[in-house]
Amino acid sequence: MLVATDIHRHFEGMRAVDGVSIEVAPGKITGLIGPNGAGKSTFMAVLAGTLPATSGTIVFEGEDITHLPAYQRARRRLVRTFQLPSEFAQLTVLENLLVAAPSNRGDSLFGALRGKRYWDADEQRLIEEARGLLKRFGMSGKESDYAGTMSGGQKRLIEIMRALMLHPRLLLLDEPMSGVHPKIVEEIQYYLQDLRAGGLTILMVEHELHMVERLCDTVVVMAQGKVIGSGTMASLRRQQEIVDAYLVG
Amino acid sequence: MNTYYAANLLIYAGIDIIACLALNLQFGVSGIVNFSFIVFQAVGAYAAAILSLPPDTANGGFQHYVGGLQLPFPVPWIGGAIAGGLLAIPVGFVVLRKLRSDYQAIALLVLSVIANTVITNADKFLGGAAGLALVPPPLSDRIDPNTESYQYLYIGITAVAVVIAFAVVNRVVNSPYGRSLRAMREREIAAASIGKNPVNLKMTIFIVGGVIAGLSGAILVGFIQIWAPSVWLYPETIILFAAIIVGGRGNNIGAILGALLVPVGFEEVTRLLNSNPNIANLGPPNLISALQWVAIGLLILGFLWFRPQGVRPEPRRVFEGGPD
Repeated sequence: MLVATDIHRHFEGMRAVDGVSIEVAPGKITGLIGPNGAGKSTFMAVLAGTLPATSGTIVFEGEDITHLPAYQRARRRLVRTFQLPSEFAQLTVLENLLVAAPSNRGDSLFGALRGKRYWDADEQRLIEEARGLLKRFGMSGKESDYAGTMSGGQKRLIEIMRALMLHPRLLLLDEPMSGVHPKIVEEIQYYLQDLRAGGLTILMVEHELHMVERLCDTVVVMAQGKVIGSGTMASLRRQQEIVDAYLVG
Repeated sequence: MNTYYAANLLIYAGIDIIACLALNLQFGVSGIVNFSFIVFQAVGAYAAAILSLPPDTANGGFQHYVGGLQLPFPVPWIGGAIAGGLLAIPVGFVVLRKLRSDYQAIALLVLSVIANTVITNADKFLGGAAGLALVPPPLSDRIDPNTESYQYLYIGITAVAVVIAFAVVNRVVNSPYGRSLRAMREREIAAASIGKNPVNLKMTIFIVGGVIAGLSGAILVGFIQIWAPSVWLYPETIILFAAIIVGGRGNNIGAILGALLVPVGFEEVTRLLNSNPNIANLGPPNLISALQWVAIGLLILGFLWFRPQGVRPEPRRVFEGGPD
């Protein structure tokens, strides 16, 4: 589904990502792990187009997307979430979901100028879809609250739901459990398994190794900007270099 | 209150409302800190002036300008609006594509200063520092502008322009497109990650705002019949920003309220204070006018500190069938 080849991302000489190549298989959850500063989030940002690659190529569903900006990758349904909460704080929870929907006739200047009658049917359809997601993620009662007033865990859920409104083909999750209450961690885990069962492909950066072990079909280990191994968690635990670099304990 | 005074007040209010609606769309809704807003009003005014003035050889050739096409109303107003939008294209292209939003604000402020300096010194282009005078008011070939009925007419056509500007801005703000603009304002990178093209969104709103600002300039020049660099100095933009901050950023009704409270209200209070000799003679000359700027600065700081959401905050959108 996604093939990244020899990706480099340098910041004034500092090689944050140094020749990373990975393949993400469709319908699977691929984990990306590594110590702090390994370049995981930078690599995710390069895949999503938030940061341009210094060199290398990214092919998504057969198309070279290396030079496409982030918004065009999202329109091809390669969607990311962020390491830090990135909700639209002054929009309500429901609006955070609606704004991501790609097929609203009112989401253009001329559509807007034509008035509500022109786009209301789309809006009602999308409200229904968004409310379905809110119900599935247990946040129905919060739809009219400002997203900025939600807890850290709820903001994570909002981001995941917002990404799902785009009907992603590949979802890039950057530490979705970070700073989240253990109860919501369990919920997110359940939702991710549910999404995989529905056929969604996920590439996920995560520090919680138990979570990675439970969720991920394949795991890629990064350290110092490079891939140092990949496979199942069980196979990685047998590789001494990886255990020394990251899996100690 | 005589008719001329009332007309003056209402027409200025209409012009300031139109300008504040445009700035609210750019700054309040979309997060574009357009510190050169007054330039777009000015270009609309100049365009309307040279479209309605006769060639500069008329009136004894005492002023110099390009154009002088003597076109009938409403062509100069439409031309003013188009000029505002056209100016937004190159400015937006240079400023909005690559620069971070704080640098955008600085670049636009610098543009405002440069534009004023250039027009002041290019005296054969648009009258230089002396500006343009004897700009024919709309429909003055049919109705004597020095009559009461003309004042009512001008109030009427200004009101129509206000209604059109409000309808346009309201449709944009309260649509899914407006929601995308607000998302971009909140987090540009996150908006891009869900498929929004921030440069496209900003350019579009910069042009739409430029068109509305240009229209407000055209209405103003038709009323006061003169236009010069001294009336569009960069601090005029700050007054409009104060109006948005006071009225309520992101709220169209707030923008109208801000326009009435700050540009109109402050001007009137200053004028009234200056008309009282006991107050006007206090301290050095022009003290009251200078204090107006101090008061506007304090007003901005006070609101940002104590009520940053303004008098009428941006409304929370609650959808039918959902919890309040």
